[in-house]
Amino acid sequence: MARFHSLEVVDVRRETRDAVVVTLKPRAEDAAAFDFTQGQYLTFRRDFDGEELRRSYSICAGKDEGCLKVGIKKVEGGAFSTWANENLSSGDILEAMPPMGKFFLPLAPELDRHYLGFAGGSGITPLLSIIKTVLAREPKSRFTLVYANRQISSIMFREELEDLKNLYLGRLSVLHVLESEAQEIDLFTGRIDAEKMEGLFKHWIDATSVDTAFICGPEPMMLAIAAALREHGLSDAQIKFELFASGQPGRAKAKAVSANVAANGAGTTATVTLDGATRSFHIPREGQSLLDAALAASLDAPYACKAGVCSTCRAKVLEGEVEMAVNHALEDYEVRAGYVLTCQCFPLTEKLVVTYDE
Amino acid sequence: MSDAIAIDDYLAQGGVLTSPDNVPPRYRGELLRLMSSFVDSQLAGSAGFAASINFAPGIKARIAASRITLEKADHAERVLALMGAFGTDTGRYQAQHDWAARVDRDADLGAVRHGNDMRLSVFHYPITGWTDAVAMNVLMGLATGVQLSELSRVSYAPLAEVFREIAPREARHAELGLEGLERIAAAEAGRGGARASLAYWRPRVAATFGVAGSARYDTLRRLGLRHTPNEALLAEWERTVTDRLAPLGLD
Repeated sequence: MARFHSLEVVDVRRETRDAVVVTLKPRAEDAAAFDFTQGQYLTFRRDFDGEELRRSYSICAGKDEGCLKVGIKKVEGGAFSTWANENLSSGDILEAMPPMGKFFLPLAPELDRHYLGFAGGSGITPLLSIIKTVLAREPKSRFTLVYANRQISSIMFREELEDLKNLYLGRLSVLHVLESEAQEIDLFTGRIDAEKMEGLFKHWIDATSVDTAFICGPEPMMLAIAAALREHGLSDAQIKFELFASGQPGRAKAKAVSANVAANGAGTTATVTLDGATRSFHIPREGQSLLDAALAASLDAPYACKAGVCSTCRAKVLEGEVEMAVNHALEDYEVRAGYVLTCQCFPLTEKLVVTYDE
Repeated sequence: MSDAIAIDDYLAQGGVLTSPDNVPPRYRGELLRLMSSFVDSQLAGSAGFAASINFAPGIKARIAASRITLEKADHAERVLALMGAFGTDTGRYQAQHDWAARVDRDADLGAVRHGNDMRLSVFHYPITGWTDAVAMNVLMGLATGVQLSELSRVSYAPLAEVFREIAPREARHAELGLEGLERIAAAEAGRGGARASLAYWRPRVAATFGVAGSARYDTLRRLGLRHTPNEALLAEWERTVTDRLAPLGLD
């Protein structure tokens, strides 16, 4: 299982008003574990008021930069990104898992590829890593980047992209699309939607020349782009997505506590939420797991190994207490947050409220 | 560009998820179940085929059977590695079940899962000899081809990628089977045995496509984990089987 390692913050640079670029250094013994591939991300963890939060941020450094860098844009109400933007400084230690993710194409120096990238806002971070690496390591390849932002001042890495264009003359083109700032060409003003994609394909990008497209940005933008790419003949294997933070909850909720432990053999009344529907049923005192009881009550609860190994049957206890016979799949922080493996759960309280939907 | 849409809508519109961090709970459960079923089926399939190596009539056939045994285990390992990112204890997982265990040849499991692992029911039946192994491999290999073209579109990108990587190798397993079946069917004596084995395995492989009008299919389709209904996949497999067996005089 992946483990957390300590990384030293060696630099925090303000990139835009609400985004920082953090340079990190692994300990010497962890250097190999943090030897990333372009386009990968790091998952950080930190305690906020006794609650562990985990957040993933894409690496924005190229493979040849000799360092680890991540870009962190402040998300409204986001505990981790706000903290990183306001409080993080050189010398701090961050805990992170080794790089993960498959948002890349294996490098092939001998090939002459045309990469097409789409970035929305901070979705630029993994693309910047890919652009820098590909242009350095694949001398015959070229890259077209379509980069959507609200306005000029919110563009992350604007200067760095300009420098790259000059460094790799003719091999990197960048098309900026700005939502609320008029530009000389109408096509580059507004949001990237189906219509704009048609315009791009008509005047600026030859879809047939594209080997692989990379998309990282908000969900509606990714959908519109992917649909247009498919329409213009790209296969699913040629379209790579990276979905970032918006799907993540802002702050973990505290575990509900009820210590009304069942004293006798009356059994337990369980209330289980699954796919938005809530059902109550009875669990006899002995011998039946929460999962088996739910299945017996005709709930279509997810499970696979029934041995506490695979984590398919994970759910969250909102009220009441259970005992987990075996846990090989959940980490300590998940258990502290109230998650259980329902195949290994035996109720301890007369009342139990559980949800599979959190 | 800060507007977000509900993850369910995103998936229903063909969106793709990329890491355990952005996977919602129900999706997580169904995805792990799907991966678990694939891993268990590949491990059970590999374990079942291991014994067939010793049924092989010659060196080439022995190599083909060994390769299928090896690569199915490798495919299981690749998907199990993805499960590991969700918290699965991969070391314990692979030792969790007796992958070589089989029921009686004439037991009738239908499409229902049996025992504690998630393998497809067809992998519970024993293989009785070389012709039987080849017949099973042809029918299941063609079924895997149909299933993998469906699964290569799953909305969890890392899994879709693994399926796309292994699809050509699984297709090669089916081709190896067809080559073997052609040799068996060259003689009248072989054809009789092949027909009997094909008749035994055909309904059992057909059952792996699940029932028509499945409620689970609707759930999975909403999550982008499925795209084509069971009955359509089954019909495609039946067409392919007929097309491939007819030239051998076996359909």
